Amino acid sequence: MSLMKRTEQDVQKMNRVELTPASRVLEGEEAYTLTVELPGVSEKEIELTLENRVLSITAENTLETFKDYTLVLHELPEVRYRAAFDLPEHVDTAGIKAANKNGLLILTLPKREEVKPRRIAITAG
Amino acid sequence: MRAYLNTISNPWRVFDELMGDFPFDLFDTAMRTRTGRFPRVNVWESEGGLAVQAEVAGVDPEKLDVAVDANVLTIKGEKEQADGSRAEFQRSFNLPFELADAQIKAAVKNGLLTVTIPRKATEKRKIAIEKL
Repeated sequence: MSLMKRTEQDVQKMNRVELTPASRVLEGEEAYTLTVELPGVSEKEIELTLENRVLSITAENTLETFKDYTLVLHELPEVRYRAAFDLPEHVDTAGIKAANKNGLLILTLPKREEVKPRRIAITAG
Repeated sequence: MRAYLNTISNPWRVFDELMGDFPFDLFDTAMRTRTGRFPRVNVWESEGGLAVQAEVAGVDPEKLDVAVDANVLTIKGEKEQADGSRAEFQRSFNLPFELADAQIKAAVKNGLLTVTIPRKATEKRKIAIEKL
């Protein structure tokens, strides 16, 4: 949070902060649900990839600036969200589904039931 | 600047003032909702009014309430927590001018709430000074 007054130009010159987004995993019978908080990020801007059983998420938020206004309270910086998750062997990576709602990225990671190991890169978005 | 800090009772106030910043990241995501500092915001001000952006990921827009009362803006609602439970949050801002509450515009997109409110037009009344 900053108490310095900033103009629109000041904000545009600031560099993006790299941040690990808040996330949680809930385990269900059939699958894990991984929820990642990505406020201010539109679906198109989410980079979701899978490589060697590591699920990576990169996304940049977009915060509108207001011309001729002064930013008097600055708690939301421009950020680059970065997160990576090692998926355990019993996750069936081929069946991963991703959905986006209310600024949350919701990933369903199904549990495998005797499927041959495959390596697949998945990009969604 | 004081005008924009929380007006609701804040047990961390002394700590804030020492640190010059609110240690939001020390709270786990579940507790952040209850700090009185949720949602985090950017507040833009001009002669004509106010624009507020708030991060409300995980909040159902139907459960979000934005209200203006004279010069106080309140954002409150219910957020679904990490463990599936719901937590209520509320944050109020004391503003240095009165707002035209009938003209608030609020929209939520991708977990970001944007509220714009023009300033209330006030009449400047000149007071005549009588000679005694």
